Amino acid sequence: MSVLNRLKSVPSFTFPVVAAILLLLLPQLGLSDANQRQLLLIGFLTLLVSGLNLSLGYAGELALGQPAIYATGAYVAAYMGAHGSTDILLQILAAIGAALVVGLLTGIPGLRLGSWSLAMTSFFLVLLIPDITNILINVTGGPSGAVGIAPPTLFGALLTNYGFYLVCMLSVIIWLAFMRNLVTSRHGIALRVMRQSPVLASSLGISVFRTKLVAYALGAVPAGVAGALFANLDSYVSPGSFSFALAISILAASILGGATSVYGAVLGAVIMQLGPSVSTSFQQDALIFYGILLIAGGVLLSDGLTGLITRAWKRYVVRPDHVTRSTTHSPQDFHFEPMAGATLSVKGVSKSFGGNVALRDVSLTAERGQVTALIGPNGSGKTTLLNMICGFYPIDAGTIDLDGVRLDNRRPHEIAGRGLARTFQTPVIPTGITVSQAVLAGRYSPERVSIASAALRLPKFWKVRAHDEERVAQTLAIVGLSELADEEAVSLPLGTRRLLEIARALVSNPSVILLDEAASGLDEGEVARLAVLIGRVRDAGGTVILVEHNFRLVLSLADTIHVLAQGEIIASGAPADIEVNPRVLKEYLGVKDVGAAAAAIEAETTGHAS
Amino acid sequence: MMTLVWSALTIGAVYALVATGYNVVFTASGVFNFAHAQFMMLGVYLSYAGIVILKWPIFFVFVLAGGVVFLAAILEERIAIRFVRVAEAQLVTTVGFATLINGAVQRIWGPSPLAVPFFGSSQVQTLFGGRVLPDELVIIVITFVIVFALMLMSRRTMIGLAMLAIAENREAALLRGINVRRLALGAFAFSGLLAGLLGPILGPQTFAGAGLASAIALYGFVALAIGGFGSLPGGLIGGFVVGFAQEFAARYLNSNYPDVVVFVILLLVLLLKPNGLFGKIRERVV
Repeated sequence: MSVLNRLKSVPSFTFPVVAAILLLLLPQLGLSDANQRQLLLIGFLTLLVSGLNLSLGYAGELALGQPAIYATGAYVAAYMGAHGSTDILLQILAAIGAALVVGLLTGIPGLRLGSWSLAMTSFFLVLLIPDITNILINVTGGPSGAVGIAPPTLFGALLTNYGFYLVCMLSVIIWLAFMRNLVTSRHGIALRVMRQSPVLASSLGISVFRTKLVAYALGAVPAGVAGALFANLDSYVSPGSFSFALAISILAASILGGATSVYGAVLGAVIMQLGPSVSTSFQQDALIFYGILLIAGGVLLSDGLTGLITRAWKRYVVRPDHVTRSTTHSPQDFHFEPMAGATLSVKGVSKSFGGNVALRDVSLTAERGQVTALIGPNGSGKTTLLNMICGFYPIDAGTIDLDGVRLDNRRPHEIAGRGLARTFQTPVIPTGITVSQAVLAGRYSPERVSIASAALRLPKFWKVRAHDEERVAQTLAIVGLSELADEEAVSLPLGTRRLLEIARALVSNPSVILLDEAASGLDEGEVARLAVLIGRVRDAGGTVILVEHNFRLVLSLADTIHVLAQGEIIASGAPADIEVNPRVLKEYLGVKDVGAAAAAIEAETTGHAS
Repeated sequence: MMTLVWSALTIGAVYALVATGYNVVFTASGVFNFAHAQFMMLGVYLSYAGIVILKWPIFFVFVLAGGVVFLAAILEERIAIRFVRVAEAQLVTTVGFATLINGAVQRIWGPSPLAVPFFGSSQVQTLFGGRVLPDELVIIVITFVIVFALMLMSRRTMIGLAMLAIAENREAALLRGINVRRLALGAFAFSGLLAGLLGPILGPQTFAGAGLASAIALYGFVALAIGGFGSLPGGLIGGFVVGFAQEFAARYLNSNYPDVVVFVILLLVLLLKPNGLFGKIRERVV
């Protein structure tokens, strides 16, 4: 155990780096040619599986077309090799380009419908391989395959056997490093968020369609690279190598190794490559075996063998330290950066679902540096209005604008990108991430980092990461969750999850913040903390829209209150006016003896304040 | 020319049947059953076994094919669907079940295609100036009968209405006292029974072959995409569109083009009309 405990202090990338160096040196240590070939095939399969992991495991989109992308890369390289462009790097680059084209061509239409649509569209590509190779028989050699591929070169020099091995293995290593960097960056968290809740993702400014497309198209890249390498392995390519069976074994390897993992691809590829050579009966019954594996994998091991190993690692090696759940500081103690704020105006908005009128001619304005509250009985249209402001429903009539810029009929992620942040009535917290990662998700839109700079760890990435860490720590301190930063976010109690959502909204430094029943489920101390927090946001210049049932909280915080009933605004005004408005008392509070109730509230609020 | 139309109608009807199978399960349970084409293939293989190997009377062949595939569908719902909640995991398990059937079928009957003789007459008929086999006519007629019967059922019976309710809003249906799980199982069982019973009818046209399932799975999916998910008449029309595109591309271009043409149609439909010809547009819900 002590050895294991010492192991955990080593940086996480040490083991993969050591393994990679060993792998590169193996042929020098007397690896036989046959085994070297086996390793290369495992490497190619790893690339194919890893690409699938990116789209299936991270973006939640099943892509069955990896063999077709593999074939594309192989035929591109074969054509170049037979026509004088023998430089392997050039071939790899061309294969990547071709793979991206095929990925985008199938991804854009495929992602328009549900997730089966992409699976089937990409699967169709595999069916097309024999036809396309026949149609392009002059290039591909048709069913008999492409021949006459000259041996690969690198910068003008002929590649030796070992040189080719190095190029192949380095390609695998570089891709895995790229993949690791990508999924451990904020883009990895964005993918997780999107997979679990597209609604949350778009309200954080993440474009769901584009993110899925990018993940799927990027997943095609390693398949293209593998194809280019494969073409040079035997200097021969034929359509027989790219079959339905290959698609299924790639999927099986992904599920077996764990689709939501980086190194699981290696594990899955090793088993799938070596398994069939262990016994002949395996080969005969391969499909039956794969079928059972896929069913069992889908039902039982949602994160594959890698998941089992990780859980064991966490359980026996990394023991969580005890956390104190006390929050000592008050938000009063923290310095709030001034917030830009913006004026949000809703003018004459109406909405009906079928024959059911949800909102009728609603107008309101939320000013910067003010808290605008929206109250009303259940079903009066408060959340519908919020969802329309955020762009989740198209509006039937009217306009919504932010500082004069129209927001209506824009997509949710565009609206979020303009500085609108929100919380949800039922907190939406993705599983499998820590509190600080959950807050980090809110940093996606205010400061962007491209996938390239995240994967290649360019200076911009480090700069933004430093900002991210600083802002996240600061925001967690403000809401009083610093001590819980490394806890699993989803396991927190409801009240704490609400505070977490507020932190996620605040961390983006929004101009408008929409709180949907932020106080429900909070204990008294937490409500008080929330009230101070909202006050600080207002004082910093932010625009706050508060949808709330806690009448007392609303009266004490709001600058303006709008009361909705049956889809219409029945009263608007300062808290002092609203609390004595007979219609509000009747419709919202259900009070029959209006005079007595008003007096009671009056007495209570004044009593409370003193 | 008319002969070409007849064969396009026949092949289109097969795809429409696959699309109908997808639709029945999809409407009742929201699952895209990747293995439905494998059910149809299994029905064809069982018909081969019943007619050629066992030499059973045709009535018992129908019972055999229908019964076994019915059980296979129940098995799938029980082991590969019921306990899997996440959509992409369901995709993986249904692909797994499909692969399992593929493997089992190849293991039992071998990889080469087997001819299934038609139980009726095999006298070529001339109809509207085109030559057509009786089994082709049977397929076309049966397809129309099945689709119209299902359409009537979905409008006129409680089960049909309950299925529509589930497709519209699963939770609301649950609250209304609809047994969502039993209906989902029922839909799987029914689609399996139907796929099995079709075996002796489709077999003479499709043959019993290892590649049958993946091909009709994809064309059936294209039919579904053209018609719109959940639309029975859409699936029927989509099937015929695919059938005609394939037959005419094979005749007027060459044998390499049918699949490419169908694929291009699929891409265009998804790009331009992602809800299909008869699909409904749904508002997004938070």
